[in-house]
Formats: sequence, structure tokens, C-alpha cells
Amino acid sequence: MSQLAELQSAFQSYLGGSTLAVDFERRIQADGKISASRRLAIYHDAYRLRLIEALATSYPILFKLLGDTLFQQLAQGYVAQYPSAFRNLRWYGAELADYLGTALPQHPVAAELADFEWQLAHAFDAADTALLQLADLAAVPAEDWAGLRFELQPSVRQLPLRWNTIAVWHALNQEQVPPSPVMLDQAESCLIWRQQLDAHFCSLDAVEACAFTLLQRGASFAEICDGVASHAEADDNETVMVAARLLANWLEQGLICRFYR
Amino acid sequence: MITSPPHPLTDDFLGFGLGLRTPHYQALLDDDHAIDWLEIISENYMIPGGKPLHYLDRLRARYPMVMHGVSLSIGSTDALDLDYLRDLRTLADRIEPAWISDHLCWTGIHGQNMHDLLPLPYTEETAYHVASRVRQVQDLLGRRILLENVSSYASYVDSCMSEWEFISLVCEQADCLLLLDVNNIYVSSYNHAFDPRDFIAGVPAERVQQIHLAGHHHHGDYIIDTHDAPVIDPVWDLYAHALAHLGPVATMIERDDQIPPLIELVEELAKARQIAQPYLNHPLPWQQADLSSKLGLPMAMSV
Repeated sequence: MSQLAELQSAFQSYLGGSTLAVDFERRIQADGKISASRRLAIYHDAYRLRLIEALATSYPILFKLLGDTLFQQLAQGYVAQYPSAFRNLRWYGAELADYLGTALPQHPVAAELADFEWQLAHAFDAADTALLQLADLAAVPAEDWAGLRFELQPSVRQLPLRWNTIAVWHALNQEQVPPSPVMLDQAESCLIWRQQLDAHFCSLDAVEACAFTLLQRGASFAEICDGVASHAEADDNETVMVAARLLANWLEQGLICRFYR
Repeated sequence: MITSPPHPLTDDFLGFGLGLRTPHYQALLDDDHAIDWLEIISENYMIPGGKPLHYLDRLRARYPMVMHGVSLSIGSTDALDLDYLRDLRTLADRIEPAWISDHLCWTGIHGQNMHDLLPLPYTEETAYHVASRVRQVQDLLGRRILLENVSSYASYVDSCMSEWEFISLVCEQADCLLLLDVNNIYVSSYNHAFDPRDFIAGVPAERVQQIHLAGHHHHGDYIIDTHDAPVIDPVWDLYAHALAHLGPVATMIERDDQIPPLIELVEELAKARQIAQPYLNHPLPWQQADLSSKLGLPMAMSV
């Protein structure tokens, strides 16, 4: 290992907290004004502060839910466990929801809120793409419809929610006291996407969630209709109408970028 | 005393610019401002799509731009990140910047990013290592890059030359350009007890393409470079001293935190313009050829 590589390895280990400062201090010039340990501490502290600040920026609503003290404490634990490999600090923190699942098991809504907030933020700069319009489907012959499949635009994410996370998010976003965490009777599906420049989200009922999941997995329109039929008590005609209305709504919301046969 | 280099390398005087920051997007689009160009943080726009790139394209139609990176890690002993360089080039192809810069530092090894501009030991081994990487980067980008001097709080016992000697050696070996951060010179000169004028006299003047100005926080026995406050008077004085030595250099105010309304930064930039005025009217002999035509450019050039 070159001298430079060895020096950088020692410095990085020191910053990460795994080396005693005294081992690395010998490498730092002392000039009488400030000790080597204080000089190094500037870098040591800045490393943690910068990553914690990045988490607070990425998770502003979670920060409000947990409060400054608890957020800082958890963020410190996360930083100690997860170094950054990202060129942009904005991408640091993807595993925070998983981390909260184990570090804060008594508040499961916190992990779910973190997941929701992360997905919402990252719909923000997903790739741009041209969207499929209802009119684009007008030319498709009726007999071809059963075999049509659709591709979602890059920002779309579907997130299962087990708690009243959206209500908690809304309250905190409006600087109000959040409702107590409540486990939902049945897990809810939340759709997150960017329409033009702004991120949006909505919850899906059981029929729409089933149909949307099928579409997302590349199912044909006929298979989507079958999925709708399994959830709704309706005859074939009504089933097709329900599926078509859902599809029209998804197109209007800007969720689909292309179709193929 | 000014040493006139026989073949000046920097002939792109863009005027006076600001760092592009999200809170100013709309103000920059809504009105005309006395801002000649914008510097973007490259990594903020090395993304797939969405609002940042939307605004970037609209603003690029109004302002010349330069790209300034924070994660090249030119001094690292890891291999160069070719994915990063590919994305940097894609962004450069998109906005056609006047130039591309990053920092003379390292930011991590073993695939990690410490998100800090960590100091390098000032040794020949390090200078040759950095210079060889700069040459590779310049080949991949198809242009010279600018390296910026960073603020530092510690120096290594391994170092065997001054920071400005180190910078000069890297520049000479790599044939790259310099982004001189006058605030960083001030901060480091205080933290390491050297004369900032020695620094300015010691770097290759003909390679200085851009100047950064910013604010910092004084903690008594050391200074932290924070970019969250206005430029202080001693840094303005050092800027004037630098211009007397370098002649007119494209200058930018860098504010990364506690970002004020755009108008406040435009006023601060006017101060830089005022300090630079005598040198604009009387460029140094080796700068005269290009300046006369470039100074006639309107505030917001369409490129």
C-alpha cells in the first residue's frame, strides 16, 4: 500500500470512529495554537453532523414526529452503522426505515412514515418520460384490448401501509398534532408518483390495488379484468367497465408511459 | 510584481456570478439581475429527471453556466469512478458549461464518500498521483478542468512543501487550471499560520480561471469554512490583493447555507464588481487581447 493510501485509510477509519484518535494524531502537525486532537475533532464532528443533517433534510416529517432529541439519537445510530457510498448526500438514508424497524420497534409507524417519506422524495427526481394519453388508445381495435399490457412511468411506486401513516403525515405536514398511531384493519396500498414537476400520492381501495398490482407486473387487460372480478361482485360487462374506468383514471393521473401487445 | 506568462491559459473572463441555489430558481427566472453567470453544483443535477433539471434547462437558456463538483475525489487512492465521470460528461453535454471544476482534495476511499473535502499531504508522491488522475479526467472530459484549493483544519507531518508549492506542482504536471477560493486561502492561512499573500504569490497566475468568495465562522483559535454568511472585510481585502496580482478573473459568491433572498447576494456581488473595476479597465498586459471584446458582453449572455 502506498504511503498516501495508508494515510487515507487511517484517516477514514478515524472519521468512522473505529480508530483511537491518539493513533492518528501522530500523523497531524501540531503548531502550538491548536492541538492535533482538536484539529482532527473538527473533521470527526463535521462528518457526523453532515450526515445527520442530510437525514433531517430528507426526512422532515419523521423529524417532526420523533422530535429533535430522539431523531438525533436514532440518526447517530444510523450513521454509525451505514456509511455513505453516494456522490450526492441526498441519496444517503435509504435504509432508515429498515433501521427504525429494529432500533425503534415500539413505534412501527415511524418506520412506515420514513419509508413513505423516502419514496415521496425520490419520485421527485425520477426520469422524465412522455406519458400515454387516453387518445393514444383510441386507435386500438376492440379485439386487441384483451391482450394490451402497460408500462408505468419511472416515478411510480406502490407502498403497502399497515398504519394510519398518511393521516400522521398530513397532520405533521400542516404543523398539527398527529393522531395516535392506529394499526389498520386491513393493509392499505399507497400510490406515489410525480405528475409533471410535483410528487403526488393517494391510497387505493382493494379492487384498485389488485388491478394496479397486476398492471405493474405486466398483466394483460383481460387478466386485470379477471383480477377486478375476483374482488367485485359484478358480471363480465360491469367488470370490464370497472377496469376501463380505473385505466382511464390512471392515464389521467399520468401513471402510464406506454402500452404494448 | 506581476510576472507575465508568455502564453496565458485562461482567456475566458465571464464576469461576476453566483452559485445557483434552489430558493432562487423563480427569482432568477422572473426578473433580470446583475448576474453574469451561474455556477451549479454538478452532483445536484446528475439525476434522472424532475424539477431540478427542468429549472436547470430554463435557467441555462438565460445564463452562461459553469459546473462545480464535490465528489470527484481527485486525490483518492481508489480507482477513478468512471460511472461518475460518464454522468458528469452527460451533464456537461446537456448544459455546455464554460468550464468544469472540483476540489484538490479527497473525499473517501474503499467506495465510501465522507462528504467532506479532506486535505492531502503535500508531497511529491501525492502531487504526481493527483496529476496523473487529473490528466485521465481531462482526457475523458475532453477539456482542462479547474481544481479548487480547500479550507483545511489539519496538516500532515508527511507534508514536505507548502500548499501553494503543492498546487503549482499538480498544475504543472497535469496541465490543469485553478479555481482560487480566496476565502479558503484566508481560512487556511489563519488555521495554519501562514501569510495568505504568500499563497497568492505562489500559485501559477496564468492558470487561475475563477475565484470563489464566501463567508465563514470564526471560533477564536480556528476558523471553520461554512459558506453561511457574507464575505468579511479581510477577505475582500485579500480579493483586491489577488486581483492586483492576477488581473481580472471571473468571480463568484458561494452561499450554501442560511441562503438569503437573491437581492442580497446580488448586492454582495456588486461589491466584487466594484473592487474589480480598476482591473477591468486596465487588464494586465497578458490579458488585454481577449478582454476588450468580452467586457462588451451584456449582463446575461445567451450562449
